Amino acid sequence: MELSNISVTGLIVLIVACLLVIALMVVNAIVMVYAERKGAGFIQRRPGPYEVGPWGILQPVVDSMKLLGKQIFVPSNVDFFLFFAAPVLAFFPVLILFLPIPFGPVLTALKVPDGIVLILAFAGFGLLANLLAGYASNNKYGILGAGRAVSQGVAYEIPMILALLAVVFQTGSMNLSEIAEAQGRWPWSWNIACQPLAFFIYLVTLVAETNRAPFDLPEGESELTAGFHTEYSGMGFALFFLAEYANMLLVSFVCATFFLGGYKGPFLDGFWWTFIKAYAVMCFIVWIRWTFPRVRFDQLLNINWKWLLPLSILNLWVTAVVLKIVGP
Amino acid sequence: MTTTDAWRDAFKEAGALAVTRPDPKKSGLALSAHMPAASLAPAAEKLKAEGFTLLFITTADFSEGFLVTYVFDSFTEHRRMALRVLVKDKSKPELPSIAHVYQGAEWHERESYDFYGVVFTGNPNLVPILLPGDDRIPPPHLKAPDAIASIRTLGFLGEPEWAVDGWELAPEPPKAAAPPAPKAEASGKPPEAGAAGKAAEAKPADGGKEEGK
Amino acid sequence: MSNFSFLNPFGVLDEPGTYMGDFYSHNFAKKAAPGNVILNLGPQHPSTHGVLRVLTELYGEFVMRAEPVLGYLHRSHEKMAEHKTAYGFLPNMGRVDYLNAIGWNWAYTAACEQLAGIVVPERAEYLRVISAELNRISSHLVWWGAFVLDLGAFTPILYAFDDREDLCDILQRVTGSRLTMNYFRFGGVGEDGDERFFSLIREFIPRMRERLKMYKGLVTDNVILRRRLEGIGPMDADMCLRYGATGPILRAAGVGHDVRKSVPYGIYDRFDFEIPSYKDCDNFGRYWVRMEEIEQSMRIVEQAVEQIPQGKRIMDKAPKPAWKIPAGESVFSVEGARGEISVHVISDGGKSPYRVKLRAPGFSNLSLFAEASRGTILADAIAILGSLDLVIPEIDR
Repeated sequence: MELSNISVTGLIVLIVACLLVIALMVVNAIVMVYAERKGAGFIQRRPGPYEVGPWGILQPVVDSMKLLGKQIFVPSNVDFFLFFAAPVLAFFPVLILFLPIPFGPVLTALKVPDGIVLILAFAGFGLLANLLAGYASNNKYGILGAGRAVSQGVAYEIPMILALLAVVFQTGSMNLSEIAEAQGRWPWSWNIACQPLAFFIYLVTLVAETNRAPFDLPEGESELTAGFHTEYSGMGFALFFLAEYANMLLVSFVCATFFLGGYKGPFLDGFWWTFIKAYAVMCFIVWIRWTFPRVRFDQLLNINWKWLLPLSILNLWVTAVVLKIVGP
Repeated sequence: MTTTDAWRDAFKEAGALAVTRPDPKKSGLALSAHMPAASLAPAAEKLKAEGFTLLFITTADFSEGFLVTYVFDSFTEHRRMALRVLVKDKSKPELPSIAHVYQGAEWHERESYDFYGVVFTGNPNLVPILLPGDDRIPPPHLKAPDAIASIRTLGFLGEPEWAVDGWELAPEPPKAAAPPAPKAEASGKPPEAGAAGKAAEAKPADGGKEEGK
Repeated sequence: MSNFSFLNPFGVLDEPGTYMGDFYSHNFAKKAAPGNVILNLGPQHPSTHGVLRVLTELYGEFVMRAEPVLGYLHRSHEKMAEHKTAYGFLPNMGRVDYLNAIGWNWAYTAACEQLAGIVVPERAEYLRVISAELNRISSHLVWWGAFVLDLGAFTPILYAFDDREDLCDILQRVTGSRLTMNYFRFGGVGEDGDERFFSLIREFIPRMRERLKMYKGLVTDNVILRRRLEGIGPMDADMCLRYGATGPILRAAGVGHDVRKSVPYGIYDRFDFEIPSYKDCDNFGRYWVRMEEIEQSMRIVEQAVEQIPQGKRIMDKAPKPAWKIPAGESVFSVEGARGEISVHVISDGGKSPYRVKLRAPGFSNLSLFAEASRGTILADAIAILGSLDLVIPEIDR
């Protein structure tokens, strides 16, 4: 892409898109904090937040004001630069990951021919941020949490890539818009119907990559206090949480695009379908968090290396064979 | 071993100084054996071999010394037995540890060390367990001089079924009614117990007998 | 950059390579192998049940050595007994282990009654059994909720506390408190149960049985939970013997010893109930034994509520508050929720007992932990700690 090819309109679209994505991430965090706490309350037979505002809807706003006002503790003997870089590194790269997502037929920030590679490559920044946070904290809980986060993240990326690769084989393109376009209107013509195993594998790796229960050992509360973000308070902690919810939203959007038909629906195609499907996946993630106990760390890695990886390779192989026989 | 008699003989063999048989309905103990410090470990080994577990170790402060009681019970025989040791020197109390036989004894001995200052030689980790480790305070459970009692006067150990000659903790024979004693001397005023009343008269007598031991 | 070394109370300079810590950390670090990390869990920690501190020496994720440090909740109950009257010490028994207050009530009251030869009327015996078993159910529910919370399941504890609400209300009607109960008196119990008390119990039992079915389906049979518990933390009968561990830990090791059946106290020999024991002595065994005990306790309560006769709730001419324990010595054991609770009383016939020794089952159970956790992964060590059902106030007294 040469400098002369960049058009002014393209640049303006990109900037506007970035701002909208930031807005989306922030609004999503607010909505998800409230939805998670209310959902947790519902599952746990209690009301959830109800004091602040009608039905407690102002709770996340008040919480963020509280977090902004907290004193920032810096423990002694930390690596100053890394300590402050880690939350920033957790949050801001997620912005780039939202750019290739096809929210609607034309509502896409950046139509790149290898969108999924862009997403998977930059997703590694989150992992780096976790590692830096744990390492720079000068805290044994932090280091343990960081070590676990890195092993888990690196391990679960592989079945994730292979599951998505099966869909890419089938569609013949890595461009997310084309993948969404290739699916039909009805659920039986979505990719979930012809790639159920890939969908299942992707669902499991999605929970593991975002460090959510039952795979939330890196921040395993009952063992490691708070894992890699033990030493962070106030805004640092808030940035990690924003990043976690943004990551969840991102993988839900990818899931919706790859397997659930993207912006296509039985009637009225449009961006609302993407949002409905992505938030359905998010509801599922919240639901299983409050239902299942935590998987132990070596069992977690076992699931990945002994089950998900062979299954995803098998799925890929079967997809390739069927495509060769049947044709593209 | 299935009978209390058999255990009595076993303790006698192990070197007991006296064996008493308290009323199980009133005291919950089937047998109580008074051992010298050196016989503790062999007796504990015998108990462990027969499937008895150490329930607890407790120490009490008396005028004769610290009475350390080890209570054992079995999961199959249901016969609660106590081994007792008297530590006479209260300024430097020492006992051999049985932590090599019953690992659970390690913590119970640390508790007695905390509360009374009894040093159990051979305990793998004799540091305070319930009291602060670095801020050593004097053992808190020692009795004040006006509250301390004498085992012999209380007589709670009971008449021994068998004892070596001149066992020091035999309860005092009831003396003829003596005039009520004047107030405390060195070893303290004996409390108003069931067997008491003749107490103060006997005090100097058994004080002398003990020193002679 | 902030540098807090001036706050260091031990004057150890903030140099790299210097291990900061307190007396117990230094004592523990003396035997540490170079290269291993010393991690201090607690005393404030979301997982340890109470203020328990565990010093661990970690090689990566493996626990090479673990040592619990106690004393953060030591309140000198045994010393208090020597300065209070026998009657005045009864409220203390509700606070030694607040989750199983009735068990401790029973042990101390019966130790003194045994020494004095006091016989308790029938109705009082039945009330004692009912309250003790309801207390056991409530204690096991708290243990269950907290244990699966340690393992990461956030929801069951709230359901357990919902069940416990009913139990606390029932017990409050008759004891006066929801938690730190002071119910027993020498010669009987404090209050009689009225008709509403018994009807509440009769409503509670079927509801609890329904709940237990749900817990079995959702939690006990959950594959993630099973994989976390099965095969972890073996504590066989020999280990229990060496450490004096009793209660569900012992029964999970296959030894069917329960004081209520082996040396029946009160009127336990009139009830038909089983002692659940398990063949493998792992975490799951201990879990399963406690869940089954809830069911057995409900059986006992059902039978007791049916059989309870009319009568007095305390003997005539019961000991008054200034009562002195007759001289002598007495040991009494009851089966608490955690194991065998024993109270050893030496009395000189005076106003206060001469020496009261409170044998907490948790004290012996926790001493197992150092050996049981050697070589396990940290997550498993936490699970083992949870399966021991520790309540630190009773361990520290």
